[in-house]
Amino acid sequence: MKQRVFITGVGLISFLGDSPALFHKKLCDGNKGMGRVTEFEEQGFASQPGGKVEAFLPEVFLKSKALRPLDRSGRLLASAAKLTLENSNWTSQDLAVRDVGLVLGTMFGSMHTISQFDRQALGGGPSCASPLDFANTVINSAAGQTAIWHKLRGINSTIATGATSGLMAIGYATDLIQSGRQTAVLAGGTDEFCFEAFCGLARAGLLCGPDSTAGCSVPFEKRRTGIALAEASALLMLESAESAQTRGAVILGEVLGHSNAYNPRWKQAAHEADAVIRSMRGALEDARLSPQEVDCISAAANGSIPGDRNEALAIKAVFNGHGEKVLITAIKSMIGETLGAGGALQAIDLLETMRDHAVPGIAHLKNVEPEFASLNFCRKPEFIDTRIGLINAVGFDGHACSLLLSGPPAWGNLV
Amino acid sequence: MTTFPAVAVTGIGIVTSIGTGRESFWNAILAGHCGFGPVKSFDTRLYDVHIGAEVSDFCPQDYFEDADPATMGRTSQLAIAASRLALRDGSLNLAGIDRNHVGVCVGTTSGEPQYIEKFDDHYMEGRLDRVGREFVNGYPSHLVPFHIAKELELGGEAMMIPTACAAGNYAIAHACDLLRSGKADAMLAGGADSFSRITYTGFARLGAIAPTLCQPFDRNRKGMIPGEGAAMLLLEPTHKAAARGANIYCEIAGYGLSCDAHHMTAAHPEGEGAARAMRLALQQSGIRPEDVNYISAHGTGTPTNDRLETIAVKKAFGEHAYKVPISSVKSMLGHTMGAASAIEAAVCALAITDGRIPPTMHWQDRDSECDLDYVPNTAREHKVRVAMNNAYAFGGNNSSLILTAYSRP
Repeated sequence: MKQRVFITGVGLISFLGDSPALFHKKLCDGNKGMGRVTEFEEQGFASQPGGKVEAFLPEVFLKSKALRPLDRSGRLLASAAKLTLENSNWTSQDLAVRDVGLVLGTMFGSMHTISQFDRQALGGGPSCASPLDFANTVINSAAGQTAIWHKLRGINSTIATGATSGLMAIGYATDLIQSGRQTAVLAGGTDEFCFEAFCGLARAGLLCGPDSTAGCSVPFEKRRTGIALAEASALLMLESAESAQTRGAVILGEVLGHSNAYNPRWKQAAHEADAVIRSMRGALEDARLSPQEVDCISAAANGSIPGDRNEALAIKAVFNGHGEKVLITAIKSMIGETLGAGGALQAIDLLETMRDHAVPGIAHLKNVEPEFASLNFCRKPEFIDTRIGLINAVGFDGHACSLLLSGPPAWGNLV
Repeated sequence: MTTFPAVAVTGIGIVTSIGTGRESFWNAILAGHCGFGPVKSFDTRLYDVHIGAEVSDFCPQDYFEDADPATMGRTSQLAIAASRLALRDGSLNLAGIDRNHVGVCVGTTSGEPQYIEKFDDHYMEGRLDRVGREFVNGYPSHLVPFHIAKELELGGEAMMIPTACAAGNYAIAHACDLLRSGKADAMLAGGADSFSRITYTGFARLGAIAPTLCQPFDRNRKGMIPGEGAAMLLLEPTHKAAARGANIYCEIAGYGLSCDAHHMTAAHPEGEGAARAMRLALQQSGIRPEDVNYISAHGTGTPTNDRLETIAVKKAFGEHAYKVPISSVKSMLGHTMGAASAIEAAVCALAITDGRIPPTMHWQDRDSECDLDYVPNTAREHKVRVAMNNAYAFGGNNSSLILTAYSRP
């Protein structure tokens, strides 16, 4: 029989802070704290919403050791891991005797370090490239560095499926626990904000663009023009029932099921929404739930023109009728598109939603695209009892992932 | 730990510097052919080393039916070629099955490095205006499995596991889990990497590249030689493969993954994590150490790797370590990065089917710290029943895969 998988801790680094409760409160307040990307104006990119976690000081979280070997991705992930381990009450003594795994979801990994390393060699010849930086040019470097920092000796894996990577990592880790291969795994995602990603996504026409020219990253909005690229790092601690019980851990929630799909015909108009439809149906099937049992959807929607539409049409198709009732929120309206971190941030906020019964609204949503205006979008905080929530992740290129969560189970029998 | 029903390897697709396609690859590797030559993909005049193992005769058009190979990077091209070859080799008729239950899982170190290298060229020339939509539509590593799935019209799970030089094993391991849990009916799993200026520069800076020859486990070994290639295995649950009358090369009985949590680029000094991965793999497969009778080594040819790997094998196998033949095909193919462990898994499968094991080439002098049986210089007739495929990576990632002979019930 499959093991049940519980969430016993969370941790995040974001421009809305590093406290899950405060993060949720700010989202419910309709926070407009997102910064602006002004630093690339010289390279011809006009100011637009998005950007770094400006206040991030890794030394606050990672005391006592030299930070030089870690690049920004590594520091973001190691810091989120520190917070998650603390939140789930894992001590260094525990980690000395038990093998905890780490599964990182990331779209670009250490691309900035890779590019910098290459440019050092191009500029001054190969002898100018730093061997210390080379260690971080592997895409799994943040996961490797974080394992070293916190002594995580279990399965250490990195998952790349584009913008869906973080939610995929949580699904992958869930399977490792369900099959009995690991009893405790940190899972989630990180993508650092860097020029290479910003420039690449801008040139591919995926960013919302400067709002002076009507740039708009509001999910499901008729006027939307693309995403606001932002930065975050977020992890969950997943544990088997036995591990959680033995440690006396506080249980924040449970992973009920998950699924994902790639749509090879994603460029064909008639099939655009297929991947999201199949991933949601698959997750419901995996959790043995019907659409009617879902109280709230944390949508992947991020202002992407095709992505938001595909997700909305898929919700209509899967929730067939009930789609008009189920409450849909989209926190990327406030935190932007954080790529690898996105799915884990959605999960963290959903757990907070379950705890305080407030679903954050979709900030700035005014005119919903008429094609899916019948859906029940949450426009300002709504107070409902969310027992079961569905999280979607939708990629730029035909991939989708869905995961179902519930809050803490009734006290008693976990196994 | 629960034991799981086994997974069958029913197709092998392989693109390497010494041969493309199962048969030509296997003949070349048994004959000890080498893929080393002066690097052609970029100018190495400013480097102290100039040798690489590139695939020089690769013609992507031969393997594409839908997409234009020019719209994607070389790693995707190599991986698509390997995937087509694996499907043909396994005679799996995709028309007869639910393509939404067929997935793709690939491992890599660098993904599509040429896209970021080109970006950097533009950057250095002050010509960022030349960066177009192709950069972000070509570079991210997940595009490799996505390109394969699109070309072959597969709708199951498509995933990249970029765990560097052990990535092929990670991808195969994950594919096995999906098949065992019934989440997929068939999987294409393996690894791919194309020759990268960045990787070459890095290993050159670490002083890890050998000037002329890759000599794993030899006393005078001077390092590894970067290479490129791809291998994809067609995997199916054994009962389904048997039911459709597929040719079964071998089964994958289990795997073990672990992390040193010690150092980014150096293995644990006592081989702790590597030995732990081997033990986990044996445990999960329900196989005793003394039943393993072939090991495909990570065997990069660097002084440290080969020494520590030998320590780890002794740690996991005890006295039996001296009785198991161990070879490193990196002595012929160089280090093909994320593809390496997938190519080596194919080597294990073919060794099991064929009853012959490939040599470790260029072995001349015995090293007192590498004193096991490395099958020096000539292939050997040897009935392999249980093979272990070991691979290690930056980040302290260790992986061991167990492949076992299949006998029809």
